[in-house]
Amino acid sequence: MHHRILERWSRGTSPIHGLDPRAKIAALLVFLIVLATAHRSLALLSAGLFLLLAGGVFRARLPLWAVIERAALVLPFSLVFAIISWAAGDPARGLSLLAKSYLSALAVLLVVATTPLPSLLSGLEQAGVPRFLLLVGQFLYRYLFVIVEEAQCMRAAAAARAGSARAWLAGTARFGAAAGALAVLFARSYGRAEHIHRAMLARGFQGNFQKLERNSFRMSDAGFALTASLAVVALRLAAERLAW
Amino acid sequence: MHIPDGFLATPVWAALDALAAPAVGYAARRAQRGFEHARTPLLGVMGAFVFAAQMINFPIGAGTTGHLVGGALLAVTLGPASAAIVMTAILAVQALVFQDGGVLALGANVVNMALVGVLAGYLPYLLWGATRWRRFSIFAAGALSVLVSAVLALSELLISGVPMSRAMIEISLALFAISAVLEGAITLAVLESLERIQPRLVRQPFPRRSPAFGVIAVAAVLLASVGVLFASQAPDTIQQLTHQTAAESSGWFTKSAAGLGGLALIYGACLLLSRVAGRNRSV
Repeated sequence: MHHRILERWSRGTSPIHGLDPRAKIAALLVFLIVLATAHRSLALLSAGLFLLLAGGVFRARLPLWAVIERAALVLPFSLVFAIISWAAGDPARGLSLLAKSYLSALAVLLVVATTPLPSLLSGLEQAGVPRFLLLVGQFLYRYLFVIVEEAQCMRAAAAARAGSARAWLAGTARFGAAAGALAVLFARSYGRAEHIHRAMLARGFQGNFQKLERNSFRMSDAGFALTASLAVVALRLAAERLAW
Repeated sequence: MHIPDGFLATPVWAALDALAAPAVGYAARRAQRGFEHARTPLLGVMGAFVFAAQMINFPIGAGTTGHLVGGALLAVTLGPASAAIVMTAILAVQALVFQDGGVLALGANVVNMALVGVLAGYLPYLLWGATRWRRFSIFAAGALSVLVSAVLALSELLISGVPMSRAMIEISLALFAISAVLEGAITLAVLESLERIQPRLVRQPFPRRSPAFGVIAVAAVLLASVGVLFASQAPDTIQQLTHQTAAESSGWFTKSAAGLGGLALIYGACLLLSRVAGRNRSV
């Protein structure tokens, strides 16, 4: 599954990996807002921002082509709307949808691929996101693959009992079987959560995850956030000036 | 159905982010109340369940399949505040890890699916879950949650100026209706199976409200979402009105004063109406 790649990428070492997560989050927000509010000379701006991100990927020692490919996950959805815009007689808008959604996804990917999830979450917490929500998100991510695997096992079991081919005809029976499977999955997940909680209490959980290393916001982090933001803003100003 | 970045106009995503942030904070506080830490693993694992539920396909006929979206199911089992938190966490993980949905557009997606979708999905169950309309209320919960989220997302795209022809809007509304019926049917079937194996996992609502209140509440939800849709297709009604009145050529001060005056008028009318309605009831 493709999530493993992200785990591996985020555990690398590079100047970008070493930055404080808050610096990367701040730079990401500036990037996204500058891109989202841009309207004029988008082609030039997009090219500039793409080169900037590619430079970031290079500096983070990530495989450039694989990152570019993965950010393309957003394209099918955007492509549908681009075609709709084209059909409605507004091809420029379609292209801007494609460029903006793709570049935003690439920027988010660059941050997520250079920040391990625990430090990303602690950065978000220090930025003011409610801790409860982040804890829920962390549990979600931790058990996502466990529960998905359970669902895959159930699906395989149903297929092994000929739950697919002939049952296409008997639609209602199959519908009921799928509902039963989901109910069992629900009850099992619920039970698993209770076990997890008891195991955590037994290990002295106090309502917060302890991290091994502390985030510390250094001058270099501030410098990165400032340079990256200024670069994005300067690119936009230059693109708009050139096109004028 | 998750809106990526770059689709929404700046006022739209900024307003929805500003709306979503305090609402999620409030929901987080409510979901935690009385449970302390026990709630955290439960909500996380249930979020993972919603992800995994997408692997189990339901046949709709003609060889196509659908899957559970889950907002209403979570609202009925965990309660609306917890369901909103679980859906928010799911949307955030999808935006960050799976590149599905944008980060600036996260507020919009949260409002559509985690806040309004979950509340709209809880409403029918709250109103009729304890009456003999129980099965219908669960079906309506699933259908309404999907329908309202989808219509809101479509309206936001239209307000943001994504060009769509009338035929395109009609086709998507038809698709929304089909997926709403499907979600209702799946939610009902899953909850009925769940009640057979683990009845304690399903919350029981208290019967206390009058049916008239329920009808008005559901009608209000439908009207609001349908109204947003129509408003987004013709967003220049107020502009027309200002064109017709004398305020057209004057500056921003007159315009905003006229707007405030209109708001005050509506507020006064509502106040009067509520006074009259209140007096009738007390008699």
